[in-house]
Amino acid sequence: MQDTLQTLVGGLSLGAVYALVAMGFSLVYRTMGLVNFAHADIAMIGAYTASTFYLTSELPFAVAMVVAIVITGAIGLVIERVLRPLENKDFDLMLIGTIGFGIVLQALAVIIWGTTGRAVPSPLHSAPLDVLGIRVRTYDLLVMAVAALAVVGLAFFLSRTKRGAAMQAVAMDHEAATAVGIDVGRSNALAFAIGAGLAALAGGLVGPMLYVDASLGGALGIKGFAAAMLGGFGSIHGAVVGGIAIGVLDSYAAGHFQGYSVLVTFLVFTAAIMIRPTGIFGERTVSRA
Amino acid sequence: MKVTGADTVQPLAVEGLSVHYGGVCAVSSIGFTVEPGQSVGIIGANGAGKTSTLKALMGLVPRSGGRIRLGDHDLTRVKARDMVRHGIGYVPEGRHVFPGLSVEKNLLLGAYSRAWDKETHRQLDEVYALFPVLKEMRERLAGALSGGQQQMLAIGRALMTRPRLLVLDEPSMGLSPKLVGNILDVLLKLREEGLSLLLVEQNAKLTFGVTSHCIVMENGEVAMSGTSAALSHDPRVREVYLGL
Repeated sequence: MQDTLQTLVGGLSLGAVYALVAMGFSLVYRTMGLVNFAHADIAMIGAYTASTFYLTSELPFAVAMVVAIVITGAIGLVIERVLRPLENKDFDLMLIGTIGFGIVLQALAVIIWGTTGRAVPSPLHSAPLDVLGIRVRTYDLLVMAVAALAVVGLAFFLSRTKRGAAMQAVAMDHEAATAVGIDVGRSNALAFAIGAGLAALAGGLVGPMLYVDASLGGALGIKGFAAAMLGGFGSIHGAVVGGIAIGVLDSYAAGHFQGYSVLVTFLVFTAAIMIRPTGIFGERTVSRA
Repeated sequence: MKVTGADTVQPLAVEGLSVHYGGVCAVSSIGFTVEPGQSVGIIGANGAGKTSTLKALMGLVPRSGGRIRLGDHDLTRVKARDMVRHGIGYVPEGRHVFPGLSVEKNLLLGAYSRAWDKETHRQLDEVYALFPVLKEMRERLAGALSGGQQQMLAIGRALMTRPRLLVLDEPSMGLSPKLVGNILDVLLKLREEGLSLLLVEQNAKLTFGVTSHCIVMENGEVAMSGTSAALSHDPRVREVYLGL
C-alpha cells in the first residue's frame, strides 16, 4: 500500500508535465484540426532556454521560465505564420511542415547548446516532506501547482473571455466565425502561441527532473502525445486526465518492470486506445468548412 | 424597439459577379441591387448557383469577377471577416451555429466586433424578445437545439452583428411548415423595422411572401427577374417553382 502510494505520488509530477504537453497538442488540434509535430521540440527548446537563463544568466527560476515561454511563444507565432498559406490549400503539407520545423528546432538546439546535454539542479533546496510515510519532493509539488494553475488559466481563458470564445468558435466553424467578424488566422496564431508557451512551461519544469538534451522533445513528445490521445485529442480536461494517467502508469511500470517500463506503458496505452479509440473525453471538435 | 442597425442605409449594388470552381463556372456575371429597406429574393433549384452567389458576395469563396458596392463604399476587396463591419449580417445555409458553445455565447459572438458592454446586452434582450425560445435555452449548447431553434439562433446571431442588410441562405431548409411560418413572421417583422433583406430560397412561396423583387437563377445565370408579385403570376414560375 505504502509502495503503491509512493509510486502514485512519484508519477503525479511527471504526469503534470505530460498533461501540459498534451494540453498544447490539444489546443492547437481543436482550434485548427492540426497536429503540431514540432510541439515536442518546442518543449525541448523551452527546456534549454529556461535552463540557460536560469544557470548561465543566473536569473531566478520563475523569471527564466517566463523568458522561455515568451521566446517559444514567438517561435509558435513564426511557425503558424510560415505555414498559414497552406491551411486552405494543402493541409497535409501543413502537417509535414510542422515535422520540418521540429527537425529545424532540433538542429538549432545542437548548434546553440551542443550535443552533450545538461543536468539542471532543482530550484528548491528544501528536504522532501514526509506525508503519512510517503516522501514528497517539494519540487514535485511546485510542478503540480504550476500545472494546475496553467489548467485553470487556460480553462478560464477559453470559457470566460471573448477571445477564448472566439477561438472555440473558430474551432467549430471557420465560415460562421468569419461571418461574425472573427479573424481566423489571428485566432490560429494565438492558439499556436499559447500551445508553444505550454510546451515551454512543460520543458522548463521538466528540466530539473530529466536530463536536458536535443532529444528531450522525443521523450516528452511521445508521452504527451499519448496523453492527449488517451484523454481524447482536442479535449483540454482530457489532456489533464490523460497526462496524469500516463505519468502514473509510467512511474508504476518503472518500479515494477525496470528495463521494459516504456514497453509496458505503451502496451497498456495501446490496449486502452483499442478499447476506446476516441479516448476518455473523445469528441469531434473540428469542422473544416 | 429596434433589433437592427437599420438607421443609415445605403443600397447594395452587385455587378457582374462570377464564381468558378476549378474550371467550372458556378455563377456567371450576376447583377442585382438591394435598395435601403428593400427585400430581394433569389430563387432557383438546387445547384443553380444561389449559395455560391451569396458566398461570393460575402467573400467566403473567391470571386472570378465582379464588383460589390454599398452606397459609396467599394466592398469588392473587403475581406469576409470585415463585411460585418459594413453592416452586412449573414445567416449561412445549414445554420452553422457553434454547436459546442451555449446559445448565449453564440449570440454574443455575433457582437464579436464590438465590446461586450451594456449596449450589447440590451441588444441581446431584444433578440430574446424576438425569439423567446432562445431565452429559455440560453444556457444550453447550441448543438442540442432542434433544427428550427438553430435557425432562429443563426438569425439571432446575425442580428447581433447589428446589420443594415441581412443576407439569409435558405432559412427554411429542413423545417416543418409551421416553423417556416415562424421564420416568415420574423422576416416580415424585420422588414417592417426597415432592415434590408437578401433572401436565397428554394421555397418560392416563402420568398414571394417576404420580398418585393426577385431573381430566378438557372445554371448560374439570371433566368428571370422582376417584382415578386409579377413573378408569382408568371406561368412558368408557377409551374416550376410553385408547383401549381
